[in-house]
Amino acid sequence: MAADPEADDAQVRLWQLISPALPVGAYAYSQGLEYAVHSGRVADEAGAGAWIRGHLHAGPACADVPVLGRCHAAWCSGDERAVRRWSRRLLANRGAAELLAEDRQLGGALARVLATLGVAPAGAWIGAPEASFAALFALAAAHWGIDAGTAARGYLWAWLENQVAAAVKLIPLGQSAGQRLLFALGREIGSAARAGLRLRDEEIGANAPGVAHAAARHERQYSRLFRS
Amino acid sequence: MATVMKPGWRARLELGFERRAVGAAFRTVPTRRRHHGPLVVQRPFHPEGEVCHSLILHPPGGLVGGDELDLEVDCAPGAHALLTTPGAAKCYRSAGPPVRVRQRLRLAPGAALEWLPQEVIVYDGAAFDSVTCIELARGARFAGWEIACLGRPAAGEAFARGRCRQRVEVRCDGEPLLVERLDAAGAAPLLYEPWGLAGAPVSALLLAVPADAALRDAALAAGGDDPGFSATLLDEVLAVRYLGAGARGARACLEAVWEAIRPPLFGRAPDRPRIWNT
Repeated sequence: MAADPEADDAQVRLWQLISPALPVGAYAYSQGLEYAVHSGRVADEAGAGAWIRGHLHAGPACADVPVLGRCHAAWCSGDERAVRRWSRRLLANRGAAELLAEDRQLGGALARVLATLGVAPAGAWIGAPEASFAALFALAAAHWGIDAGTAARGYLWAWLENQVAAAVKLIPLGQSAGQRLLFALGREIGSAARAGLRLRDEEIGANAPGVAHAAARHERQYSRLFRS
Repeated sequence: MATVMKPGWRARLELGFERRAVGAAFRTVPTRRRHHGPLVVQRPFHPEGEVCHSLILHPPGGLVGGDELDLEVDCAPGAHALLTTPGAAKCYRSAGPPVRVRQRLRLAPGAALEWLPQEVIVYDGAAFDSVTCIELARGARFAGWEIACLGRPAAGEAFARGRCRQRVEVRCDGEPLLVERLDAAGAAPLLYEPWGLAGAPVSALLLAVPADAALRDAALAAGGDDPGFSATLLDEVLAVRYLGAGARGARACLEAVWEAIRPPLFGRAPDRPRIWNT
């Protein structure tokens, strides 16, 4: 097999980008899962699996992934205006204040990380109100030669890992249950990414009213571990 | 037996509202009323003086596959209109293409619009596809809701087949403030899973712009502690959701929120359209 140092690099960059060690603070957000557990809708491993699976396909696969794909293409062609337009469109689809704040927080934090790594356009996105995590993730992927499909799978994997970690902490579940969930739901990442990248413009947007509702109810939850 | 496909009705209504001096006072009046097909507006009335209350009617009384309804509303600077409907819209079971509803509400700077249609009942086996675009200029004020009922829970009819697609977009000076969509297919997991509608046949969304934390708090106080109710502030948009068992509960909840936010948002006491009582 011929050596392909560029492909090797792209793969390692992706691992860095989707590592829970990436200092963007994603671990602080449960995206409504904390309220779902608090209100008894999610109570065990099976319930967590059903919630996360449904949210995966109706949430990030329908909203984040198609925007990630469009932003990736826009970054590759140097059309930063299109990136801003799509990023704003994604933020307009966040159904609760905490989901919106989360996306801005993660987007801004990733812009800071990328700026320190020498990804030039990132600097202008630090603190920008239209900075979504997907737009900056797409920038990193485009910059490091990670293709859109791989980037979308990586994005969803990072999301999934974070959701399962939140479920383990909240329900709580044992670490073995967490690994079983990751293993089972990991199988759906590929189809979720493909379906999301195929969506037409007018089909983009989360279709998970229970998640938006839970995230909005979470704002008034008395005792909370997570920020969404 | 051969099935004869009944072609759907195509209907279009354009409404323009302007603020005019009428004697010593100002009133919002309809200055443009153009309709094609069975979608009409009744004679406007002014129960609270300046605000123009209008009823939008779809005389056939029900929607069947292939029907297309286009509504365009324009509110000029300073105009204040309140639109509602005389009853629930019924979308009947039918084969073939979906009922297609397109609504565009445009508000000039300083315009105000209250968009308060009664609920849409999407019968089992019906296909409904609706897009509502609210296009605001900065300085315009909007409050509105959409209420959808999947199946007829009161008659024991679940939403086992069919499809209900709804999209609502709010833009200000062309920038998207909110994009909300719901795509519910009959018997799909979305209908009963907690991340979806969690078994609630009725889903409703109330939006108000421009909103702040005080307006959200007014909505929260009015909405009560029904677990199907939530209110959140998305920058300048107040989004109130209701998921529940019946349209009556949704209406009661959203009307209470509307009554609470009307004074701070529009500077007017609530004036409940009387048609809602009939």
